[in-house]
Amino acid sequence: MSEMKIVNKAKLIEFLENLTPDFEVIVPWRENGNLLFGSLAYAKPEIDFIDRPLVPPKEYLLPQREELFTFTTKGGEIEVEAHLNKERRAIWGIRPCDLYGIKTLDSIFLSSYIDTYYQARRENTILMGLNCNEPCGMGFCSSMGSGPFATDSFDLLFTDLGNRFLVEIGSKAGEDLIERKANLFTTASDEDKGRSNELEKQCKQAFQRSVNLDMVKAALSKAWDDALWAEESKSCILCGGCNFICPTCHCFNIEDIADKYVQASTRVRYWDSCQLGGFTQMAAENTRKTQAERLRQRIYHKFSYIPANYNGVIGCTGCGRCIEVCPGEIDITNILGRMK
Amino acid sequence: MTENIYAPHLVTIEKVRDEAEGVKTFTLTFKDQTVGEAFDYRPGQFGEVTVFDVGEAPISITSSPANKGYFELSVAGVGKVTRALHLKREGDLIGFRGPYGNGFPFGEVESNDILFVAGGIGLAPLRSLINQMFTERNKFGKMSILYGARYPALLCFRDELSRWAELENSEVLLTVDTAPDDGWQGNIGVVGSLLPKVKIDIEHTVAFVCGPPIMIHFVILDLLKMGFRQDRIITTMERRMECGLGKCGHCNIGGKYVCLDGPVFSYQQLGELGESI
Repeated sequence: MSEMKIVNKAKLIEFLENLTPDFEVIVPWRENGNLLFGSLAYAKPEIDFIDRPLVPPKEYLLPQREELFTFTTKGGEIEVEAHLNKERRAIWGIRPCDLYGIKTLDSIFLSSYIDTYYQARRENTILMGLNCNEPCGMGFCSSMGSGPFATDSFDLLFTDLGNRFLVEIGSKAGEDLIERKANLFTTASDEDKGRSNELEKQCKQAFQRSVNLDMVKAALSKAWDDALWAEESKSCILCGGCNFICPTCHCFNIEDIADKYVQASTRVRYWDSCQLGGFTQMAAENTRKTQAERLRQRIYHKFSYIPANYNGVIGCTGCGRCIEVCPGEIDITNILGRMK
Repeated sequence: MTENIYAPHLVTIEKVRDEAEGVKTFTLTFKDQTVGEAFDYRPGQFGEVTVFDVGEAPISITSSPANKGYFELSVAGVGKVTRALHLKREGDLIGFRGPYGNGFPFGEVESNDILFVAGGIGLAPLRSLINQMFTERNKFGKMSILYGARYPALLCFRDELSRWAELENSEVLLTVDTAPDDGWQGNIGVVGSLLPKVKIDIEHTVAFVCGPPIMIHFVILDLLKMGFRQDRIITTMERRMECGLGKCGHCNIGGKYVCLDGPVFSYQQLGELGESI
């Protein structure tokens, strides 16, 4: 167990503001009723400690649209300019599900061929987690082992103890942040740690949704041809929301956008969705023709392929967002429950 | 910071050759000599080709690694990027990153007879392997090359096909689906119809099959009927690809990435993937 600190809740803003000369500080804040991540510079009075943000902080590591290169043609020569984003960011209030999501993204983007763009952002991003004292509406993180309390993948981890936070240090970078404003922190007592353990236990018992992960794993080899894929995908309207809202979905397209007037083009990558028909479209044919196959791909990618390729890390964090946003009421816990 | 895995290298188009109707072969050299000297590949590997201001597309390498100092791509102009590539001229610059993918087995199939069955532009990746095998001729037994196209004008590498046919212990058989009035004297029928015309020692032969999915499907059925073992039928898989590096997710099937773990699979491996060719 790493060292634990205590900071008064009223001092959180002071702690975070102290980081702003060196970092863009990102916090969850409410906009038009939706809890989103945004810059502290705009959010000060409204940091939300209660709910799980509507969207994960994935955007800061794998933006929805990211410029990779500019190609410029000048007198027969071509100039290739890469755009690496190395802006230093500190994100506070990342829920355990989303920390797990980043762990999954790290496994994918920082192994074998290291993704240059993801790496540039990731190395310059501080992750400050916030444990969940209550389950969120659709969440089933306790079944996935990703929450409601985080165990790794953070620089600092906060637990809400009422008028103060218990702070666990997860890395040297996290420790350095505390050092900057050491006078705000005191050493945590055994009582504080005990209270945190108690909160974790209570929260785990309060979950309404659950998934039997062992059963799902055992069913993977048998469920391929099951009728459930066709049945469960019937109400899909192909909006791609389940993918776009997911903390682990990382599939992307690469596209060149030309500027005819200056003989230059910008190569961008942007999120794609395996639930959309075009995802597997080639010049001659589409290799995944039915929505049933596409739904099966989404589930197998998360529960079979990612674990098999990346040391058991799962492609689902149990955050429940895909259930929340689906206009067709497709519920991943129902699907997983039907896999037998 | 590691090397930017998405950065295309600049390559110069040294030569453009009309290969067949709608198909051109590009001879390329790296602009940066150091990159060119370090560039090595196996037959069956591919690269991501950039036509600047248009986009990127995965294309297999058709030259043999035995050719040093340059490499070749044979491209059918069928999509946005490949049609734009067809408009490029000698001296123009394009982008290339690679090689990617596993490539064909080579050492693993030594001392076998080799049967190639190709359709249309599917001969392009096999040509790399065929020429590599001919440069190490004594390692392999009989080489039979069966090649078909929809009609005669679509047959690629005509000069080389004639040259291969004259080499020792090798045979080349051609066919077309239909022959309009252009004096075609050869076989008419799908490429599978050539199989009964060659003598094959099934126990000691490895088959390489490459072409459009429908052709691969039927040729493999023929080979299985003849008694070929599933692990001795080698083919290639085509999937939508963006990155070529196992990140973008498009070519993922059954736990594998066609760009990393493929595009070459044995028929036995294909069965384990779940999805069809």
